[in-house]
Amino acid sequence: MIQLIDIEKVYRTKTIETVALHRVNLHVERGEFVSIMGPSGCGKSTLLNIMGLLDEPTSGHVAIDGQPVKTHSDSKLAKLRNEKIGFVFQSYHLIYDLSVVDNVELPLLYRNVSGSDRRKRALEALEKVGLSARTKHFPNQLSGGQRQRVAIARALAGNPEIILADEPTGNLDSVMGEEIMDILLRLNQEEGTTIVMVTHDENMALKTNRLIRFFDGQQVADSRVLEAQI
Amino acid sequence: MIRHLFKLIWNQKKSNFLLITEIFFSFLVLFAVLSFGIYNYHNYTKPLGFTYDNVWQLWLNPQTDSTAHNLAVQRELIQRVKSFPEVEHASLSNSNTPFAFSQMNNNLSYGGKKDIQANVFNVQADYQKVLGLEVSQGRWFGPQDKASLHKPIVINQKLKEELFGDEEAIGKLLPINDSSQYAVIGVIDHYRSYSEFDPEEAAYFECINLDEEKSYFWNGLVMKVKPGAGVAFEEKMVRELSRIAKDWTIEVTTLEKMRQSKAKMTTVPMVALGLVCGFLVFNVALGLFGVLWYNINRRYAEIGLRRAIGASSKQIRNQFVGEVLVIATFGLLLGLLLAVQFPLLQVFQLSSAIYWESIAAAAFLIFLLATICAIYPSYQASKIYPAVALHEE
Ligand SMILES: Nc1ncnc2c1ncn2[C@@H]1O[C@H](COP(=O)(O)OP(=O)(O)O)[C@@H](O)[C@H]1O
Ligand SMILES: [Mg+2]
Repeated sequence: MIQLIDIEKVYRTKTIETVALHRVNLHVERGEFVSIMGPSGCGKSTLLNIMGLLDEPTSGHVAIDGQPVKTHSDSKLAKLRNEKIGFVFQSYHLIYDLSVVDNVELPLLYRNVSGSDRRKRALEALEKVGLSARTKHFPNQLSGGQRQRVAIARALAGNPEIILADEPTGNLDSVMGEEIMDILLRLNQEEGTTIVMVTHDENMALKTNRLIRFFDGQQVADSRVLEAQI
Repeated sequence: MIRHLFKLIWNQKKSNFLLITEIFFSFLVLFAVLSFGIYNYHNYTKPLGFTYDNVWQLWLNPQTDSTAHNLAVQRELIQRVKSFPEVEHASLSNSNTPFAFSQMNNNLSYGGKKDIQANVFNVQADYQKVLGLEVSQGRWFGPQDKASLHKPIVINQKLKEELFGDEEAIGKLLPINDSSQYAVIGVIDHYRSYSEFDPEEAAYFECINLDEEKSYFWNGLVMKVKPGAGVAFEEKMVRELSRIAKDWTIEVTTLEKMRQSKAKMTTVPMVALGLVCGFLVFNVALGLFGVLWYNINRRYAEIGLRRAIGASSKQIRNQFVGEVLVIATFGLLLGLLLAVQFPLLQVFQLSSAIYWESIAAAAFLIFLLATICAIYPSYQASKIYPAVALHEE
């Protein structure tokens, strides 16, 4: 589904050069729930951004469904992000001037979808995350767990094939974190959505089908590879 | 998308309040200044009804009060002026010659129409030739008027319409006082002599009769000179005339000079207003630009998010330009509420077309200004790297 080949990412500022990713090769298969763990600053977010076509690698290739994206125009990349990928962030990134349902509709705004259809799909997505009773609220009237559920509903509204979640439970207490994790697991198991999740929580990572560990910009362990070796 | 932008701006109306107010006031100021400008321009493009090239003007100021003596001198002066080969035509007049700072009014009544106010111009028959007036109905003054029972007048079309509507004007009699009457002998299409920027008013001409016993002193004298008559002739003429009218002051000017100084009465305030307005609008533009810039920095994460969920950089740019136009629309709508009262309630008696034109032009300028101010910040917003904007520590 998403293939990373020999990815190298170097951030250059005037004074320093940071190698955020070094020789990363990774193939995320359709239907997988992959968790990524590693210490802070080891390049997890950078990896997710590159997978999500938000950032370009310094060298190496990204392919979606076998198609390399290197030569894609800005608007073609935007279209791929819009139709294939859903993002969930640690700090939710909701628009605080828009109501819950308007936030959830956002991805559909960048497609040719009628207003009533948008509303219908947004409400369906909110139902999946158990927020049907909060559609007219504004984000600042919700708890952290609820906000993250809105963000997941927003990712779902676009009906993506893959969800990229960067520490989705990082700002939440364990109870709310569990709720979010349950929603993601259900999506993966019942709807077959591919998920790549960055987490610091070992217990959550163990619930997924594949655990990749990073250290200093490099993959140091991949549970699927380990299993194959055993 | 447009609905989305309206919703976004509406929900942010508190933070956009200042901008909306600025747009509102700019629109009103532009509307006022444009109304003034367009009104003047409309007037300027209307026909004057006379030509002023090669027309000179003398101001006659006798020093003594002896009317009989002054009248005799005056009769001699006009004869002498006409005898110069450089002078084609000349006529005595009251002081309300074209572009002069002087007006004379009289009220006329006809049938049910009571006290119609009109400018009255006392002139000699040659006045027509001096200013190239064209009579469209009836005739101008002539020798046959000497025998007429009533006082002949020539009126402009505007006065004709006010007094008689669609009726024939020639031959109509208008009371002057209990014993005498005016007789309309001719109509001219236009006579708009006070200022190029003023609308035409009702006007009529009365013929000066120097043979009348109780004649009046006329201190204006206009003449059409041959092309090329210049300073040398002017000096010669003044010298000769001073010999006839000893110790009178005689000033010479041209209608062209008078036109220019009259025009300044309108153009100077207009330019001043335009400058003030331009300065104001420039300030609003700077403010608009600054607020946009600030907004875009504040909404860094939002821009990153929108890019992540599928907005192309072009769509980001369009969104921000669109938002500014929506803000401008809100300000405009408020301004319109006020501005439309002017044509609807007929404030200031300007024709409503002028108000509508000003409203359209002011709205256009506001949108143009908003777009210009929005383009650069929006372009910057579209260039933000989504990964950087979404970066969280
Ligand atoms: N935009 C950037 N410019 C410069 N350095 C960056 C930028 N983004 C990330 N980095 C650096 O790259 C490394 C990896 O960052 P990141 O992918 O955010 O790590 P993680 O998500 O694992 O905490 C860090 O050293 C970080 O400081
Ligand atoms: Mg991170």
